[in-house]
Amino acid sequence: MNKRFLTHKQKEGLAGYIFVMPFIVGFIALTGGPLVFSFIASFTNYNVASDMEFIGIENYAQLFTADQIFMTALWNTVYFVLFSVPLTTLGALFLAALLNQDVPGMRVFRTIYYLPAVLSGVGVYLLWMQLLDPTTGLINIALGWFGIDGPNWLFDPDWTKPSLILMKMWSVGGSMLLYLASMQGISKSLYEAAEIDGASGWKKFIFITVPMVTPIIFFDLVTSTIGAFQIFQEAYVMTSNGEGGPANSLLFYNLYLWNKAFEAFDMGYAMAMSWVLFVIVFVITIFNLKLAPRWVHYEGGDDK
Amino acid sequence: MVSWKKTGVALGGALLMLSGCAGFTTGDETEEETALEEEGVEIVDFWTFWGSETRRPIIDKIVADFNESQDEIEVVHSYYPWGDIWTKELAAIGAGDPPDVVINDINATALRGMEGQAESLTAIMGNNDISERFYPELWEATLYEGESYGLPFNTDTRMLFYNKDAFEEVGLDPEAPPATWAELEEFALMLDEKAGEEYERIGFYPLWGVGYDVWLTNLNGENYIDQEGNVSLATEENAEVLNWLKSWRDRLGADTVDSFKAKFESNQGHPFLSGELGMMIANMNFYTQIRDYAPDLNFGVAPIPEYEPGNGFTSWGGGFVAEIPKGSDSPEAALEFMKYLTDVEAQTYWAVQNFDIVANREAAELAAQSEEFSEDGRMVYEAGTENMEHTILTPVPTVAPDFYTLVNPEVDEFLLGEQTAEEALQNAQEAVEALVEQNQ
Repeated sequence: MNKRFLTHKQKEGLAGYIFVMPFIVGFIALTGGPLVFSFIASFTNYNVASDMEFIGIENYAQLFTADQIFMTALWNTVYFVLFSVPLTTLGALFLAALLNQDVPGMRVFRTIYYLPAVLSGVGVYLLWMQLLDPTTGLINIALGWFGIDGPNWLFDPDWTKPSLILMKMWSVGGSMLLYLASMQGISKSLYEAAEIDGASGWKKFIFITVPMVTPIIFFDLVTSTIGAFQIFQEAYVMTSNGEGGPANSLLFYNLYLWNKAFEAFDMGYAMAMSWVLFVIVFVITIFNLKLAPRWVHYEGGDDK
Repeated sequence: MVSWKKTGVALGGALLMLSGCAGFTTGDETEEETALEEEGVEIVDFWTFWGSETRRPIIDKIVADFNESQDEIEVVHSYYPWGDIWTKELAAIGAGDPPDVVINDINATALRGMEGQAESLTAIMGNNDISERFYPELWEATLYEGESYGLPFNTDTRMLFYNKDAFEEVGLDPEAPPATWAELEEFALMLDEKAGEEYERIGFYPLWGVGYDVWLTNLNGENYIDQEGNVSLATEENAEVLNWLKSWRDRLGADTVDSFKAKFESNQGHPFLSGELGMMIANMNFYTQIRDYAPDLNFGVAPIPEYEPGNGFTSWGGGFVAEIPKGSDSPEAALEFMKYLTDVEAQTYWAVQNFDIVANREAAELAAQSEEFSEDGRMVYEAGTENMEHTILTPVPTVAPDFYTLVNPEVDEFLLGEQTAEEALQNAQEAVEALVEQNQ
């Protein structure tokens, strides 16, 4: 065998590929296949068990021309994204800034604020259903102490989505941790220099802390936007029979998609819906990426 | 050279692991099952969502009894949670390796027949003779184009529960529950008890326990959408019913209604059990809650009152069927087991242990006499089986299986005061008609 069959560089490259193999194989076999299949099946009347006839763009045409519920579901989801993403991002950022102070007992506070991120899933939703109960829930009882007559939260279509956004705010601990880690890495000399110049705490936050954590803000924005578009569980668990709440106010995109797929068995239609969502999220993400260089600051980076 | 070899081995190993995955199709079978299969015993894979402490032992006992009664078929019971079981089943059908018997929702049996998710039992049996053993309404719900796609297992029925002591207290005859909507309203007003602005007892509220759709069914004697997808929502009578339902909320006040509603979730604080609610519509097996949490409650049970004398006491029921998913590899054995499951012995056992109305008529009637029930238990069970003649199911039409997603929000908006009953019904009617059109 020829010892120089591969150069050192090629060998390194090969090793790299081998290390990413598990992902590539997983992606092709477990994600790529179904992805392609769902794209093809979105042009059919696929129902899993028996039918799979090509019907052209009928599913897509129906979505945009005839399906009122589709528009409701899309609007509900966009509403949720528009409010929950900025609020949770800002919330996490401020929380991290607070928890980055040098006060005694900070570890305890950090633990307390991070705890909700550890709890997850259905248990939390059930807990929140009790918290949000109009008469016996803690939230309205607490509001009552200040003379505020709390809303009907999950029973009033105007308040159902704010209820979920409030719930999301409670669990910002996860992204808070990212901000906190990033803030701890900011060089003290920057703050010292600012202090010599007489900068206030707020100015230091705005002109040093925020720019230095913009990569994390960017990452958080992109991932939480994608995540918010995919909201499903919350509505599925917190509405009766997973139907989407009073007056369809919690019928989110993925919940409607799920109902179409597994209640009406209209799998082709559901797949078309998932591709529409994919395109929406894709466009927004590209937009985000294009916009990023204007405001995201990479320390020691070369403007990329 | 050496590292190249190593990577080659690693690569080969990875491929082996992946190809190994292909051999996992029988991965869920135990050695014991494989051994049984070699002896010629047919394995029937049986999926239910009955995993609770009360239900699991009951179904396991039925399965064990069947397995002991013969030696050709071995039924293996697996529990999947309520939220998962049917999506898993569908995935398994799609993958071509489904279980052999699954418990599924009776109201969508015809739909699954049409979609090709279930095997036609009529095709396996060659006839529909088995239908004799079931309540006809239940059997009907399993048919698609004259062929049955599931054997009814259990059902339920909505009835009026009323507090006899409260009746007596306000001078009503405890043996004469309301028979019409007018009486219902009259009695409810008598049973209301207020201390200042707060209600200490509410006589009745129609939307606790059942939805608006049950009242529409009670009025019309049938669902507002039939099997062909003909919709009859936008009628004057239906609008009247919706307005009647809303008038209760308006009279009691939204706050009172909402605060009472929250109490239903706890067994101890349940308004009917604590005497804060005079009458309510509930599933007949609500009795088990009374039995367990308010054993001293002096209550009666009656059919849902009729709209007008002679209109009929129509009630609504649901239930479950046992069915064979498409692609099962032992449909005959599966059917044998399903016959056992729906025969008198197993059904009586289930009925008595679970206080469920079972689909097998003879078993339901036997259970009503069971010595294992208390006097109250027998009274309720008997009233429940008698109520079956007024009880209709609402199988989903195959042309609009998700019609309710269009109707419920419109009615919600009406109840919230955002549109009139006529508008709500008209919008819902048009939306469902459009869906039917789209699917035809």
